[in-house]
Amino acid sequence: MNPVWWIARKESGEILVSGRGLAWLFALSLVMSVLSLLLVSNTELSLLDNAQVVYMVMGTITALGALFAVVLGADAVAGERERGSLMPLLLTSVTPSEIVSGKMGGQAAGWTVMYLLGLPYLWAVGSSGQNLLQAIAYLALFGTLTVLGFGFFALGLSARFRSVRTALLTSLIAWMLLASPLLLGPGLRQSAVGKWFDAVNPFSASLNAFDSVVIDSQPFAVQAGRLAVALAWLVLTAWYAMRSVRKLEL
Amino acid sequence: MHRIGFLFLAVWLALSCGASWAASGPLEITLVPDASNPPSPRMGDRLKFLSVIRNTGGRAAEGVVAWISLVQVDPGREQPMDLEDWSAHKAVTEAVVSPGREVTVEWPMRLIQSGNYRVVVSAVERQASNVVTSPFADFHVRRKPTVESNRILPIALGIPGVILALMGWRRYHRS
Repeated sequence: MNPVWWIARKESGEILVSGRGLAWLFALSLVMSVLSLLLVSNTELSLLDNAQVVYMVMGTITALGALFAVVLGADAVAGERERGSLMPLLLTSVTPSEIVSGKMGGQAAGWTVMYLLGLPYLWAVGSSGQNLLQAIAYLALFGTLTVLGFGFFALGLSARFRSVRTALLTSLIAWMLLASPLLLGPGLRQSAVGKWFDAVNPFSASLNAFDSVVIDSQPFAVQAGRLAVALAWLVLTAWYAMRSVRKLEL
Repeated sequence: MHRIGFLFLAVWLALSCGASWAASGPLEITLVPDASNPPSPRMGDRLKFLSVIRNTGGRAAEGVVAWISLVQVDPGREQPMDLEDWSAHKAVTEAVVSPGREVTVEWPMRLIQSGNYRVVVSAVERQASNVVTSPFADFHVRRKPTVESNRILPIALGIPGVILALMGWRRYHRS
């Protein structure tokens, strides 16, 4: 069996079958459920407010997906090191590139599960509103680029730091910083610094695309710049993860 | 007494002259709902209004700008609506409307919020100092629940429940 596939399958299995993975998914679904139940209290939303709700749910799914990816990524190499399973892995014929590719496959499986978990919530709040299909498609596109980028970044840190704790803490700080537009809202990001931050932040790119598509019903052509930012984030973090794992020291 | 009578006469003449001056502009506007509009529209439906801007005067109207306005008229909630989200077609311009000529404009609109509304089209031209308005067109938008508890509750309770059941099933099989 291809070692990349084998590692990816093992990582995916840990998410879907292990008690720890299921507990994480349970916690994430609980967050989504509480958010959705809070929305039930207001049933007289206008169509536009409904689009706002769909946008909020999309942002939350992306943020939770990124958090999940960060936890998986921070544990990917440093966790193996702490559990003593890294050396046997490196002593096999598997190359560092194959290891990191396999771990990335695990990240992709984690996000797929998170995305599928989020779809019923998206349908529940948005099926009587506008642009639900676009919301599902754009969450797949922008969510994948952003979330996997966070996972790859954490994976790179996990290879560079010797402990899961340090890798996780650093990754979480980066996640908090980049996901802050979810709390700040577009109105508070109008300063020069805010605009600059928005222009380079992949999370902002995703949120702005969600806003543009779901609330303002704008076409794909408007999202090209945002897509480029999210794509650049994925490519850069993938490169960083590859480079970090290649420089791995026992 | 005569002085007061003259004063009222003067005021009446001034007002009537002003009114006739304002009405004597070259433009006239009509506004009617489109025949294809749903009879009882609800949130999310699309309506269309048709207006005809007609030059009934003897001179050409230049630099004509016409725009649509929407006002909510529910008691206690009277307010002008921001058309930003209702319509992408908020104004038209016409360089010249010659005497006797008319311009037909369609005003599409997506109904965003429930309530009673009044729509009106206004127009100005470069030389006139008054605004010309159409008659009102009133309509009611029925409410459409957008976040329904009967959809959310099964999902919000069901998904964590399914994951919990999976965890329990896994534990049972391991033991």
